[in-house]
Amino acid sequence: MGVTRRLAPVLVLGTLAVLGRSAATCAEDDSQAIMRAHAAEDAAERAARWQELQHAIFGARSLQDGAAVIQIEAPEHALDAALVPITLTMKSAAPIKSLYLVIDNNPAPVAGHFTFGPRADPRTVKLRVRVNQYTFIHAVAETPDGKLYVSQHFVKMSGGCSAPAGANDAEALKDVGLMKLHLLGPFSPGKPLQAQLMIRHPNFNGMQMDPMTRDYTPARFIRTIDASYDGAAVFHLDADISLSTDPVITFGFLPDKKGTMQLVVRDSSNALFNHSFDVPAG
Amino acid sequence: MALAAYLPGLAIAGPAVKEPAGYWMGASHGPVTTTLSGGTVIHTRKLAALLQAGGVLVIDVSDAPRRPANMAADAVWLPLPHPVIPGALWIPGAGQGAIAAPVDKLYREHLALGTDNDPAHRLVIYCHRNCWLSWNAAKRAISYGYRNVYWFPDGMEGWRAAGQPTASAEPLLP
Repeated sequence: MGVTRRLAPVLVLGTLAVLGRSAATCAEDDSQAIMRAHAAEDAAERAARWQELQHAIFGARSLQDGAAVIQIEAPEHALDAALVPITLTMKSAAPIKSLYLVIDNNPAPVAGHFTFGPRADPRTVKLRVRVNQYTFIHAVAETPDGKLYVSQHFVKMSGGCSAPAGANDAEALKDVGLMKLHLLGPFSPGKPLQAQLMIRHPNFNGMQMDPMTRDYTPARFIRTIDASYDGAAVFHLDADISLSTDPVITFGFLPDKKGTMQLVVRDSSNALFNHSFDVPAG
Repeated sequence: MALAAYLPGLAIAGPAVKEPAGYWMGASHGPVTTTLSGGTVIHTRKLAALLQAGGVLVIDVSDAPRRPANMAADAVWLPLPHPVIPGALWIPGAGQGAIAAPVDKLYREHLALGTDNDPAHRLVIYCHRNCWLSWNAAKRAISYGYRNVYWFPDGMEGWRAAGQPTASAEPLLP
């Protein structure tokens, strides 16, 4: 079979994948009518799911189209569904009070809720999450006056929730709570600066199996992260089992002068990890 | 059709996996083998016909989401409804490489009940596409003495993609 002959099916698969379908079986049952009917059914199911989640998370509050407010970037296909990088970018300079990241089809859909403090620069936030199924991701930005703006993005990957965290539990828990902070630009007083926080933590979600013992590893995951600069809040994050192993969070802050970034991480076993970093480093 | 000939190699990244001699002990999600010693591999169209004919016990061995202990009390926990092939029993855990004793007991009991203790009764075992759990569970059913075991590797994804009906099920847990 020649290389060129392989190209055509690849293109067809690309189209099928948009519909969230299994490639192998679409070829077996390739009725276009069935595909269309099914896509419509899926679209309706996905819309119903978001309605349900919206109600569970925001109650009766209404959400407005956030296409002009917030943008979600994610790879079309990640190599590892347990490590899907997500970038949330504010498209306007309007102040943001808080930010929700919702992975619709994960059993615990609220992957993170950032609440920003006076030292925050909330324009770009990055984090890595687990994605269990083909799903919509929703980002909701809350303005200081309580308005909610929503954007959505579809991702196609699966299996992130039961992927093992590492070689084995003992290995995964080594150095738990260790943190590193990288400043991603030059420090200049009064100028916003991006920083990348790396936390050593397995973030066990209770659905992974230890490859050594073959038992389910009890859940142990980061529940909150508090970042502050010289005592003034940068952000508070309520997190959940959807954060990846060894979370990496990129955020912006506004250092008015040389100072100290303090990070406090609490996990579901109530372990508390506390680190301070000089800004600029050294 | 012609297209189908190209697909196995494309649907599974990397070379085909050789059938293991024992249970699959690796990650449950990933490229799977294409054969099952002592059983039959079945695909969507033939499965639909088999179910139409009746006299088949269908078992879904997909993992069930479990609410983690110590989640915030107000955290949203909303697993999606679990779709199954209509009439299927959902027995999470029956496809683990090393099965826990209580799940083994539950699995044996439901197979015995659903087949009227007839080792010649037809069984169909599935989970997801690229999922070893159903392969393990089918191998296990063969080891219990069932002689007509079908493994459906296309899984729920393949079933739905073919426009086949589904029903919702609750997991059977020990």
